[in-house]
Amino acid sequence: MTFAERMLKIDRRIIFLVIGLCTLLPLLYPVGLPIKISSEVRGVYDHIESLPEHSVFLLSIDFDPASKPELYPQAIALLRHAFKKNLRVITMTLWVSGTGMADQLVTQVAKEMGKEYGQDYAFLGWSPGGPAVIINMGQDLSSAFPSDYSGRSTKDLPVLDGVRNLKDVTYMVSLGAGKPGVEEWYVFGKDKYKFEMGGGCTGVMAPGLYPLLRSGQINGLIGGLRGAAEYESLIDQKGKAVAGMDAQSATHVAIIVLVIMCNVFYFSLRHASRSQGHIG
Amino acid sequence: MDATVLGAWVATGLTLLIFSFLYKDNPLFKLAEHLYVGVSVGYTIVKTYDTVIVHLVVKPIIENGEVALLIPVAIGMLMLARYVPKAAWMSRYAFAFIVGMGAGLAIPRTISSFILKQIEDTVRPLISMTGPDSLTFSMNLLNPASNLNALIILLGVGSVLFYFFFSIEHSGAGKAVARTGVIFLMISFGAGFGYTVMARMSLLIGRLTDLIEFSDASYGRPTVWLLIFVVAALFFLARRGHAQPPDTH
Repeated sequence: MTFAERMLKIDRRIIFLVIGLCTLLPLLYPVGLPIKISSEVRGVYDHIESLPEHSVFLLSIDFDPASKPELYPQAIALLRHAFKKNLRVITMTLWVSGTGMADQLVTQVAKEMGKEYGQDYAFLGWSPGGPAVIINMGQDLSSAFPSDYSGRSTKDLPVLDGVRNLKDVTYMVSLGAGKPGVEEWYVFGKDKYKFEMGGGCTGVMAPGLYPLLRSGQINGLIGGLRGAAEYESLIDQKGKAVAGMDAQSATHVAIIVLVIMCNVFYFSLRHASRSQGHIG
Repeated sequence: MDATVLGAWVATGLTLLIFSFLYKDNPLFKLAEHLYVGVSVGYTIVKTYDTVIVHLVVKPIIENGEVALLIPVAIGMLMLARYVPKAAWMSRYAFAFIVGMGAGLAIPRTISSFILKQIEDTVRPLISMTGPDSLTFSMNLLNPASNLNALIILLGVGSVLFYFFFSIEHSGAGKAVARTGVIFLMISFGAGFGYTVMARMSLLIGRLTDLIEFSDASYGRPTVWLLIFVVAALFFLARRGHAQPPDTH
């Protein structure tokens, strides 16, 4: 068996080990590779930056713990930015399996930024129906969410003063890991009730949302862990996403090298078998 | 034991049990997999019951007298008729309501958002007017609104649509157009795959970040102890597998 044949039949567990090491080592010994800010992430940042104090910012945390590594850092960075700008922050989720995580996330960041529940922010929790909830919120927010996550009447929350429906929302961001998510918020929310909207999503979903970005249907897009790292850099509060970027780059290099090696071995084997065929 | 520490031990243990599949399929992985499914379903049922039944149905009816809510409750109850064969036909009314309402809401909004808006964006002018008599063609590839990008999009959309048009044989000039469509499709699939790899690596980074954090002494070093336990268990299972001859019956 030639070297190329041996390499093409290599035990897949060795490849797992290589990828694992390429991820683990940069996490243990970070080198701090530079992070370039993309225009799509800057779109969301610039819009929040331009909002006057006490504008209504709605963040829909449409993911569950399965997408936490990518979207949790995005949510933390967005909430920190919104709280820093003294916006009125309304949070909610369309994913029942993400309710507890979303509550923990919002409470943690609000506590860190010294914000008061009900006065500066609210977590409305989850309501069933997906797109129907968005339509309902567009007509009457208190009908879609009669009470918040802790059971308090939403009509009694000072942070929701003057917010009757989605038309009263100044800016909205959906952090979506699937359906319902960014697309549903655009189709049943922004397109109908005409508020400004940005999006955040997992890496898998990002290529599918770029058409909405290009056509101006959303004004910014935070894609995957990379997008979260860019946003953390923009607000100058580097967290888990920035810490993971070295590992991300290292694994990408490892995968590219593996793909090139496989092709080289494959073509060298094919060349060898054709040469043997000619001799035979 | 502090809840955070307990959570760290549970999270670390389940992560390592799931990762053990990378070595080979084993009972530890199966245990973690079944726990994941069970906990997810259990959590969803409890949250749905609490939010829907208790807070959106029972409390408003009893405390606020909102009897109109009995109408959607009745429609919802019709769904359960599927479990009674003789009354299963009644569930069709509920399904008809859902399908009719869903289609009515979704079709116009989807056409407006995804078809009309996207067509509008695709048919951008290929040459821009910068003054009453001057025309320009911007070549900046990095600017999504440049004329060069508008031309590339037009070429891509046209050629891909032609590739999926099967009433004409793809030969001669048609073959070249269809081939161009395939190239655009391949670039699109490549971009999608690249993002997918990035997303999966991000998930791995997330878990490894937690494992590193939980190797700290303040948590009782669950990563170290549970890694030793998982490796020992895999070693034991492998030895037992070798010791027991395969069942031929």
